[in-house]
Amino acid sequence: MNFTFRNKKISGILTILPAHEQKFVDDMKNFNFSEARSLKLKQVMGYDRHRLVTGGTCASDLAIFGFRHLFDQELLAPDSLDGLIVVTQSPDYFMPPTSNVIQGELGLRHDMLCLDINQGCAGFVVGLIQAFLMLEQDSISRVALVNMDVLSRKVSVKDRNSYPLIGDAASITIVEKSEGGAPIFANSKMDGTRREALMIPAGGFRLPSSPETAVLEDVGDNNFRAKDNLRMDGSAVFNFVQIEVPPMIESLLALAGKSVDSVDWFMFHQPNKFMLEKLCDKMKVPYEKMPSNIVEHFGNASGVTIPTAITFNLGDRLRAESFLVCLAGFGVGLTWSSMLLRLGPLGFGGMIDYP
Amino acid sequence: MDPFYSKLAEILEVEEVGENSQLDTFPAWDSLGVLSVIAMIDSQYGVNLTSLDLVEIKTPGGLLKLVLARKGG
Repeated sequence: MNFTFRNKKISGILTILPAHEQKFVDDMKNFNFSEARSLKLKQVMGYDRHRLVTGGTCASDLAIFGFRHLFDQELLAPDSLDGLIVVTQSPDYFMPPTSNVIQGELGLRHDMLCLDINQGCAGFVVGLIQAFLMLEQDSISRVALVNMDVLSRKVSVKDRNSYPLIGDAASITIVEKSEGGAPIFANSKMDGTRREALMIPAGGFRLPSSPETAVLEDVGDNNFRAKDNLRMDGSAVFNFVQIEVPPMIESLLALAGKSVDSVDWFMFHQPNKFMLEKLCDKMKVPYEKMPSNIVEHFGNASGVTIPTAITFNLGDRLRAESFLVCLAGFGVGLTWSSMLLRLGPLGFGGMIDYP
Repeated sequence: MDPFYSKLAEILEVEEVGENSQLDTFPAWDSLGVLSVIAMIDSQYGVNLTSLDLVEIKTPGGLLKLVLARKGG
């Protein structure tokens, strides 16, 4: 499905990372693999260190910390928000919505629309699409899009498939109306028949958590995880990405009437270096135009990886410069979605540590 | 010998693999090895295999046969 938006822009991006860092060489002591094979994995996938929350820190704690920073620095006025979208798969509760939790903690005004979206790796693009749709309303001029996840709390430390790549983080992206500027193009696709490739099987209403769902099982490939844990079918996800993403980008660029060469940056979701380089090869995109350094520095925090890639790689440049940027998210659902937009100059663009 | 076997040997971190070697005897034939092989087959042959496809495959010769069959189809 294609989307076109006019007179809208991203005006600021802040990434919030937990200060606690863990190293892959320490993680690998928990894996049931030889040291040589784990080091090979580190090299191929580009694993090195990742940022994880400690104790009972929730995703909303990171987001609230980020908002307070923006308010304190006078980069954002609390009363200027007409909408708050929270994209997460690690909500504080089943009910109420975590967007309402954040709105309440920050003391934002009542006259606004708060919305939770359950999305993962495609959550930045899906969230932007939702934010732009809201901005079509006369009464909505500025929306805060929050992407946040602390999925490390759901991953087994004995699962070499998922643990080394997982990261926790949050981002706050401010989206608002603007006069003129180039149209923004986007597309999205969904395939719920392949939903089991990435899932947390237990803990919802279909399979409530119980002592049985907490038992670590050898799942047949030397990885141990429980039904309460996140599970990922690595090769199914790899194939999904290699098959579906290149034609999606081709179709997005055709919709926009742009060539691969005209795009300054391909800011894609960051599953690992390996997968992104294979995508570059397929799409004939030079590696230097598609940063793939987020997993090695911070880990993969699902929907937060694109804002992290933008703020880490472009940072202060975005205060003054502007780039034609192609975004793409792909993962849980399965969902794959992309967007082409001119990004910058931004009012703010940076990264902070929590706490 | 088909260049497929030398590419496979490289991923499995051995000097060479035979048509009838047993894949599950290579230490590097783990989830990472399988993924690397899937990626190599995708880039070199344009064929997308899943780990499920590989469950039945016991030897490099069997794997090459599957790749060529998929490519032909």
